[in-house]
Amino acid sequence: SEEFLEVDARENIDAEDRDENFTPDDFVTGIYGMFTEFDYAFAYLGITEIISDNADKGSSPTDTGTDKQLLDDLEFTSTVPSSATMWEHWYKTIGRANYAIAFAQEEGGTNTDRLIAEAKFLRAYTYFFLVRSFGGVTIQGEIEFVNGEAVVDQDVDLSSRNTQEQVYEYIEQDLIDAISVLPAKSEYSAQDLGRATRGAAQGLLAKVHLYQEEWNEAIEQANGVISSGEYSLEPNYEDVWREYSENGVESIFEIQARGEAIAHGVQQYSQTQGARGTSGWGWGFNTPSENLVEAFDAEGDEIRKNATIIFAGETLWDGREVSASVENPLYSEKAYSSASVGDGDGDKNIRVLRYAEILLIKAEAEAQIGNLQAATEALNLVRERVELEPVSGLAQQELIEKIWNERRLELAFEHDRWFDLLRTGQAPEAMAAHGKDFQEKHYLFPIPENQIIQTPDMEQNPGW
Amino acid sequence: QEGKTVSGVITDQNEIPLPGAEVKVIDKEIYDVTDFDGNFTLENVEEGDVVRVTFLGFLPQEFTISTNNTYTIALEEDTDQLEEVVVVGYGRQKKQDLTGAISQVASEEITRQPASNAAQALQGKVAGVNIINSDAPGSTPTVAIRGLGTALGGRDPLYVVDGVPVNDITNISPSNIESMDFLKDASSAAIYGVRAANGVIIVTTKQGKSGKAKMNFRSFFGAKPILNQVEMANASQYITYFNEENAAIGGDQLNQTQEYNTDWYDEVLQTGFVNNTVFDINGGGENINYFFSYDYYEEQGLLEDQKFRRSTITGNNTFKLFEDRLKITQNLNISTRNENRKPYGAFNTAYRQSPLVPVFYPNGRYGGSYYNRATGEATYIAGPGESIGNLTSHGNPVADVAFQNERFNSVRLQGSVTAELSITDDITFTSRFGARKEFARGRVYNPIQQRWLNSDPTRTVEEFENLKAQNPEQLQYAYNELSFNSSENYKYNWDNFINYNTNFGKHNLDVTLGGSKEQIGIGMRDDYRAWDVPEQKQYWSLKHASDQYDKQVNQTYLTPTNFLSYFGRVQYNFNRKYYFTGTLRRDGSSTFQNNANYWGTFPALGVGWTLTEEEFLANNETINFLKLRGSWGELGNANVPLNSTQILTDPASGGQNYVFGPGQDLIFGAYIGSPAQNLSWEVVSEYSAGLDYELFDYKLTGSLDYYMRTTENTILEVRPLLNSTFSTNFFDHGAEVVNEGFEFAINWSDEISEDFSYSIGSNFSFNKNTVESVQRNYEGQLGGDLGNGQITKRLAEGQPLGSWWLFEAEGVWQTQEEIDNNASIGGARPGHLRYTDQNNDGVIDDRDKTYHGSYIPKYNYGLNIGFNYRNWDFSLDGYGAGGNKVYNALLNTRIGGENVPVSVFNDRWTGPGSTNVNPGADRDARASDYYLEDGDFFRINNITLGYTFPEMTRFISKARVYVSAQNPFIFTKYSGFTPEISGYDPNDTNAQGPYRTTGIELSAYPLTSTFLFGFNIQL
Repeated sequence: SEEFLEVDARENIDAEDRDENFTPDDFVTGIYGMFTEFDYAFAYLGITEIISDNADKGSSPTDTGTDKQLLDDLEFTSTVPSSATMWEHWYKTIGRANYAIAFAQEEGGTNTDRLIAEAKFLRAYTYFFLVRSFGGVTIQGEIEFVNGEAVVDQDVDLSSRNTQEQVYEYIEQDLIDAISVLPAKSEYSAQDLGRATRGAAQGLLAKVHLYQEEWNEAIEQANGVISSGEYSLEPNYEDVWREYSENGVESIFEIQARGEAIAHGVQQYSQTQGARGTSGWGWGFNTPSENLVEAFDAEGDEIRKNATIIFAGETLWDGREVSASVENPLYSEKAYSSASVGDGDGDKNIRVLRYAEILLIKAEAEAQIGNLQAATEALNLVRERVELEPVSGLAQQELIEKIWNERRLELAFEHDRWFDLLRTGQAPEAMAAHGKDFQEKHYLFPIPENQIIQTPDMEQNPGW
Repeated sequence: QEGKTVSGVITDQNEIPLPGAEVKVIDKEIYDVTDFDGNFTLENVEEGDVVRVTFLGFLPQEFTISTNNTYTIALEEDTDQLEEVVVVGYGRQKKQDLTGAISQVASEEITRQPASNAAQALQGKVAGVNIINSDAPGSTPTVAIRGLGTALGGRDPLYVVDGVPVNDITNISPSNIESMDFLKDASSAAIYGVRAANGVIIVTTKQGKSGKAKMNFRSFFGAKPILNQVEMANASQYITYFNEENAAIGGDQLNQTQEYNTDWYDEVLQTGFVNNTVFDINGGGENINYFFSYDYYEEQGLLEDQKFRRSTITGNNTFKLFEDRLKITQNLNISTRNENRKPYGAFNTAYRQSPLVPVFYPNGRYGGSYYNRATGEATYIAGPGESIGNLTSHGNPVADVAFQNERFNSVRLQGSVTAELSITDDITFTSRFGARKEFARGRVYNPIQQRWLNSDPTRTVEEFENLKAQNPEQLQYAYNELSFNSSENYKYNWDNFINYNTNFGKHNLDVTLGGSKEQIGIGMRDDYRAWDVPEQKQYWSLKHASDQYDKQVNQTYLTPTNFLSYFGRVQYNFNRKYYFTGTLRRDGSSTFQNNANYWGTFPALGVGWTLTEEEFLANNETINFLKLRGSWGELGNANVPLNSTQILTDPASGGQNYVFGPGQDLIFGAYIGSPAQNLSWEVVSEYSAGLDYELFDYKLTGSLDYYMRTTENTILEVRPLLNSTFSTNFFDHGAEVVNEGFEFAINWSDEISEDFSYSIGSNFSFNKNTVESVQRNYEGQLGGDLGNGQITKRLAEGQPLGSWWLFEAEGVWQTQEEIDNNASIGGARPGHLRYTDQNNDGVIDDRDKTYHGSYIPKYNYGLNIGFNYRNWDFSLDGYGAGGNKVYNALLNTRIGGENVPVSVFNDRWTGPGSTNVNPGADRDARASDYYLEDGDFFRINNITLGYTFPEMTRFISKARVYVSAQNPFIFTKYSGFTPEISGYDPNDTNAQGPYRTTGIELSAYPLTSTFLFGFNIQL
């Protein structure tokens, strides 16, 4: 009668009955999926944009967006939820990548090498966020399959931190591995559009070198992208954010979004930043600052200003009239989705890396090593498109600052401003001009308190 | 040969006639039952026939037919039988012979307090049992016997209804219950093994009583107003408050003159209504006893169209065969339930929404919280150059109630058949089959277009039509959604046991041995939905839905749980002086079939000593009865969360799916959760000791109990390290929970004269709950989410379960200078609460949060007073609980612009020096002990005055009318609606629990009073 206690599962499929149904592809798709989660639509805005001089918290004065007001005012502590959310989210993304890589190695099959390379690209991209936000962080142990069970490297102590150099080394190795395997954008078959490419890995590696002030290496990788012939600038700046230019000539890597409930985009990315109030369509967070408007005006940059900012009362390119009575005067236009306005599941592809930035990376690195001519040429390619006067004859430091400002205007609301301010040392001055009190400790976010509760031996960042 | 006819009367010792006594000629089929006056007639008898007279509670008596034709027989009371008998698992026992702690509640106690669920009526009646009620129609109360021992596992006691183990008694009408027996200590409950950790409640429904048919008709009607309503600020107070808040943050100012002054509670609340009507008939003869009842219960809630209705049909019959050698008992309960559910969020929204918002705008749309930022008027209309802002981010509670259209129906069939065969006078074999089948169906109609239009009064139908045309696949632009879900569930149990009951001289022995087989959760669940059905209710069928959207269907079979059990119990006493009980239960459970050992053994021991049987106390005039009891036992909780499958996928829009390719085709992905590990049931071990006493000629009775129960392997929800590979939380055994307490019951009753008798009783329970021995890295489970990013509870060693973890407020910032010169939390401004820098690091963050007790009451007590004077009866019941803290999240969780109670408005900080206690209109919404309040309360549960008419007519043997006030008064310092917050929500079965919303008032159903009139008629 012991058989009476052997009950077959009916509601959920047992793990052992599912294993045979999975391929390495499934787990790599699972890593990409991480980038569409809500964390990237709210917490992420807080620690990349709202905190910077480009953006204000937005929304109603009384709606603090959990901690967005504290981030905007640089008054956050080690228990600030937004950076803690991203900390965990990034580590879980890395965990998925580690599992996918181990699973692919274990299972083999077609495209295994490419899938592993994609996973390494995504892992590197994610560690890059961690190192920029928190400095030297723990490098998670990799996985090995032992008797069919996933076993995490036991030697890695999750309560200790690696150095910043070690993390960058790890990122570089992943990207070098990826570059040697990944196909170029044009080499992929159509149904794989949107996967990480060799160009994406090169472009990201160029940026990684830029952050470490390894100018020659940055130039080398940027040149690799430029000379590949796979990319060019979109003729009209504003077209870069249209649906028809998704994965277009300028696109090097972007997060894919279809915008239907069944296949969501970056969840609520457009909604959290949509116009708020009567006839509005969103929560109204992450609004462009006056400081940014002034920066556009100082440069006489009408094209990018209008492509970046929605002004209350304006009629948008798709014919939508934005009511003059919406709650905030300015909203981010790069987050605006015409087709699925206000939907939780937007169709907005998020542009992560595009050709214009590669030109600016090259320009900055060339300027840093004194190749002012090459720097100016690359810079002017970007300026020409938006009908700004070409620069010429600037001294090295002036040119570098010009390029920094160009980055600000070209890449506004593309989640790089805060890290640029930190990297270039402009933060104290720029934030003061924005009316905020930037302190030394703000160069890094605090290690989340909940992590320290779990691993009390982990060292906190200075000043927190 | 023709016999003769004899007649007579059967009486008790006081010559009072006994109706319903059985009079039977031995060895002949000649038989009668006495009528109301005790008369009987036997035809065709002969001289020398022996006649046996039996009647429940009396010793049987025999007489021989002589030449006389009339007989008067006085029966003697069977004092042994009259002693209180309690129901134990798989048997019955005299209360005086218990070694464990069992409390019995009889039917009169249960029905005195009108309720849909019998457990609701027992608040404050049973020592050691803490019942938290919700006044929501059809709600299930939270019942905790001897404290809470589990963080995540099932918290409900096991109910055994006429031998059928079930998890609730919502289908049982209180009027049909004969008795409820609470098996509180481990030695009593151990016979139910792996499912007894939360205690066992045995429910016995009424059976027919031998004798003439008796009919009862009972009915009551009552009104249910809200008891403890919080008075909210009016428009002018709100404007002041809003303007102060916005002045501090550089926001807009409102005009003093506004068009509307809405009292949202007036708009949302109505007076509830309750009606219960019962008809029953019972009786019995030589071979059959029968009981039939029909019960209708209806309740209308505080929200418009919120209804609960239940009809119950009960048929219980007993067949006695082969000269009572074989007894077959059949119980059947059919209950149908019909509910209209409404959103409890409306109680919350009514609290927060601004009084400046109208219920409706003149254009017929529901009001929204708009104001013109330029003119400061609460309107959605803007002139040129003006913009519209939001007063609050909340909706319109009247609209919320109107738009939620949810119906729930269920039918439950429950019953058992028991055959008891007396093999010899000492040995009885019992076989019982019990089963329950339930069909349930819910229907939800969601008017999507109406919600869309009403969430912004400037929206037009044309806009909606355009969006619908442009997005033909987007479900959010459907006119409406209709969804059904239905489920079917079956369970059965088959128990067989043998009982041997004998005595040798002064040695009394009672042995029970048996086995049980049980399967639960056999069934399936399905749901289907479609869009764009016609608006008229009569067409709410999937058939009439539009083909524009794909109809969706989903169906799944459930995985059943099987139990296989063996049990045995030995009870021995010497001369009813020294007692010993030993129990052993062995349970196998399919839930744990992946474990190496999925069989559990649950032993228990009990001893007793009746001191009044000893010479030194025998015949003592003061002490009539005194008994000491002691017990130990182990119990299990098999209703625990299990770790789920390792690899996770989602066929819908999960974060592991992605789109690739020019057409952005959806590609399904997968990820690994956390490596699953096997769990076992939670084990509770308990030591318990008690004392029963009866003094002063049995007028003063009561008991005293102490217990110490430890859940040895409490399951915790563990969050993987934030920077580790695996993401999903998993469960693991990781702590002990200790409940220690005592219970005290005392009752005095006396009959002063034939006309006047009275009783007064009280019970008190004290319980201390502590989490101990938490495994390393497992501390810190968070809970009590307020829905605004703030959490309020945290698990920690040395603290009770569900302990509050909050900032400590130490006053109010008076000036900016003060903030600048002290440790302050980010964003602090004058008028905000000031929090203590517990670790003195100059920064206020989570490291400064401290523990502040728990929502679990440390004590609760009941008080009952009753008297009868001639035909009048009066009773008063009170209930209190305390020593706990509850969280007023209604007051705390602000996003900005919300309304506040008048008292908060009056006591607020208005500038330096105004107050150092209460924050100003501009305040933060962090969870702090400022919002944590004492949960102590004392409530009058019930006051009833009744009058019984003496012998009305020939047909009406008894009639009673009464008026009753339920919850007429509450005494509490708590500033919200009710300090008794069970967290019950019919729309969210997971809302309750130590790490959920229990103890937090956010969308809790308010406390209501009931004023009712009722009558009982017996025919």
